[in-house]
Amino acid sequence: MAGLLQQVSLPGEEIPWLNEIRRRGRMVFEATGIPTAKTEAWKYTKPRELGGDDFVLALPSNNLDASIPNLAFDSYRICFENGIFNPRQSILPQGVEVLPLIEVIMFHPEYRTLINANIQLERFPFAALNSAYLNEGVFIHIDSKVEIKKPLTILYHTDNKNQNLLCNLHNLILLDEQASAKLIEYHCYKGELKSRYFVNVVNEIYLRRGAFLKHYKVQDEAFKSNHIALNCVDEASNAVYQAFCLQKGANIARNETHVLLKEEGAFAEINGAYVMNGWATLDTTTDIEHLAPNTISHQLVKGVIGGDAKGVFQGKIHIAPLAIKTEGTQLHKALLLSDTAEVDVKPELEIFADDVKCSHGAASGELDEDKLFYMRSRGIKEEEARRLLIDAYLEDVISKIEDEKIASWIRLMAK
Amino acid sequence: MSKITEIADESGDKYKYGFVTDIESETIPKGLTADIIRMISAKKGEPEWLLSWRLKAFEFWQTMSEPSWAKLSYDKIDYQDLYYYSAPKQKKTPKSLAEVDKSLLETYDKLGIPLKEQEVLAGVVAVDAVFDSVSVATTYRSKLAEKGIIFCSISEAIKEYPELVQKYLGSVVPYTDNFFACLNSAVFTDGSFVYIPKGIRCPMELSTYFRINAKNTGQFERTLIVADEGSYVSYLEGCTAPQRDENQLHAAIVEIVVLKDAEVKYSTVQNWYPGDKDGKGGVYNFVTKRAACRGDNSKISWTQVETGSAVTWKYPSCVLQGNNSVGEFYSVAITNNRQQADTGTKMIHIGHNTTSKIISKGISAGFSNQTYRGLVKITPGAKNARNYSQCDSLLIGKNCGSHTVPYIENRNKSAKIEHEATTSKISDEQLFYCQSRGIGEEEAISLIVNGFCKEVMQHLPMEFAIEAAKLINISLEGSVG
Repeated sequence: MAGLLQQVSLPGEEIPWLNEIRRRGRMVFEATGIPTAKTEAWKYTKPRELGGDDFVLALPSNNLDASIPNLAFDSYRICFENGIFNPRQSILPQGVEVLPLIEVIMFHPEYRTLINANIQLERFPFAALNSAYLNEGVFIHIDSKVEIKKPLTILYHTDNKNQNLLCNLHNLILLDEQASAKLIEYHCYKGELKSRYFVNVVNEIYLRRGAFLKHYKVQDEAFKSNHIALNCVDEASNAVYQAFCLQKGANIARNETHVLLKEEGAFAEINGAYVMNGWATLDTTTDIEHLAPNTISHQLVKGVIGGDAKGVFQGKIHIAPLAIKTEGTQLHKALLLSDTAEVDVKPELEIFADDVKCSHGAASGELDEDKLFYMRSRGIKEEEARRLLIDAYLEDVISKIEDEKIASWIRLMAK
Repeated sequence: MSKITEIADESGDKYKYGFVTDIESETIPKGLTADIIRMISAKKGEPEWLLSWRLKAFEFWQTMSEPSWAKLSYDKIDYQDLYYYSAPKQKKTPKSLAEVDKSLLETYDKLGIPLKEQEVLAGVVAVDAVFDSVSVATTYRSKLAEKGIIFCSISEAIKEYPELVQKYLGSVVPYTDNFFACLNSAVFTDGSFVYIPKGIRCPMELSTYFRINAKNTGQFERTLIVADEGSYVSYLEGCTAPQRDENQLHAAIVEIVVLKDAEVKYSTVQNWYPGDKDGKGGVYNFVTKRAACRGDNSKISWTQVETGSAVTWKYPSCVLQGNNSVGEFYSVAITNNRQQADTGTKMIHIGHNTTSKIISKGISAGFSNQTYRGLVKITPGAKNARNYSQCDSLLIGKNCGSHTVPYIENRNKSAKIEHEATTSKISDEQLFYCQSRGIGEEEAISLIVNGFCKEVMQHLPMEFAIEAAKLINISLEGSVG
């Protein structure tokens, strides 16, 4: 048993450049440590508990193949169990390259430049930690002009009761020109899971010219676990990235999305919702960098927070010099249901070009008593009326999901 | 070939108030040590409690480091290379305007705010004129004294009303608050003190004109305003400074205590030397301003027009402790050339039914950078708190930057918080509309900018509003094209 940084033997140690990535990751994390409230980016979310826990690094074992949850929609499936890729439970599409990351590292070194290409490890301590153990994860490569109709689901399933697993996952997703796909990430657990496992995911997404990716995520981790994810999206001209993330589990959770709109016409829509009644901290952080003219981004995040829980939203729109004719909008709204709930918001605009249209908004409040009264006076029970109002509150953002089947699945998950 | 004559671009050098008055200053050696603080304190004949408070602040300051979180970049300040005390040398304390140093009065004449004229203007404005660090003339004192209002320099207040000063000094901004506030607590030389007794409505607007004059003198002003139950006061603070090359440090503190049912309106026009068009020179302005609405139904309103200084670091704040208390913040900040401003407000809601409103308008031009940084905090006990914030930014030219960093922390479900921010440029349609009606480009821009700021400007007292509108035009001159 040990802390977050352990000496373990990982596959691929004979590859010098891989060792260099791991060494640098370790070095940076050693220097930064677990962020505290003094780190501006972690002002409101305090993962300090991670420092005190003992972790066991998730390593391949034979007793995989636990029963995995069924999905409510038809989908290809990439399955991770207790932090390890399980090909036997996976259903992979034809004509699409889906490989374990370590295989790509060993046999396709031409893709090595994609790893951490846009991630400054000093800025993302947990991505540095992730690099220190770079091994597990998948590589998804969709060829030019290929459209995958069925969604591709990455299922992360944890059922390890006894140990605090440390799951480091690093996925590389590459969509060539004009390719199009739907990617779903579903983090779930089985049984009464009380271990404080830690899922640390880094997704690096590369969208070449005109590529189109819809990325949906549901984070439903066990109530004592920790979940930290970084999505780093690199978009070429006219690429489209649409994301939706629902967070409803874990003790400390952060879903961070960093989008680089590198060429003209790139578009990003980052939506999300979070629902929590326990004592967790659910954090949604975005950083959209408009680096070229005529780029567009939209963000809408809504949260419902009760119990002793805390919702955090940090959204940033950055417009680089000369990135004119850009448009960036951002809106965060939160509903507080209890006296002990808390929401902390930091929407940020950083603008270095004049011909732009940018706005952000933030609002928070409680359920409207008048609306409740209206419904109760018409014979709807208070509990039911509250439920309806909360559903309606979230519907606003969930209805932005174009795929009806996925939308209704997420709607169900949000209840 | 004929010789090409270079025509200097004057656009960056429009600082109209750049002159140094030649009067004798009394300074003590450069640098900051406990001995210097003892010397300042002794020169001012301060009581023992104040000296020990200063020394405690100094001790604490030595453990602090300069904050670096603001989006500002400036040359490191050598705090040992500054003079911490400079007072205009005079033979005796003047009792009326006639006794004041003539060259001093001329300085004010050049500024367009002659004391004499204001005296003639009968009861409109009382000026506690601050020249460098010591109050040299206080007018209308007797008129105010009739109502029991105390309006004097803080040094005088320390001597004459020690119990009031001791009770409130540092109670809103403790010396442990931040690096600059701590420095100020250790070395402040003068400032204004206002006390409005119970139930009194101050019959005139109180005003202080700050000026920085002696070369290389950091100016550490300290203002303390106490509005007792049911009172009202409107306070104006205006700033201009002579032009010079070395950066000047200014770290002031304004503390306001608002008791039950009282209201304070604090307006600032800040037009210190912003440096030349390449960013050379200019004032460093690190100010801590905070008001505590201690009593129920109290109200504080901050209005500021910030056009000057090379670097501005300023967050006038409201601590809303009393039930039903109200905090307001109206701000226009204009940066041009190489100016940098990181400014905003803090609204801390503690009492029930507290309301706050933030209207911030930022205009960046040239190569300047500007940040709105604000905090709205609703503590768990602040039932039915209400906040509305609006931050709009206008960009003029493609080399400037405008940033918005609001922090919103809500820990009470009954709170209603709304925040909006937009960033845009002057639209071509607006410009075309004006120009097609024969209005020149520069004038059109100033019209549009004044319209953009109107919401804030209307909260300024009349004579200030006129000066501020002029300042906006001067500040933006040369930003077109």
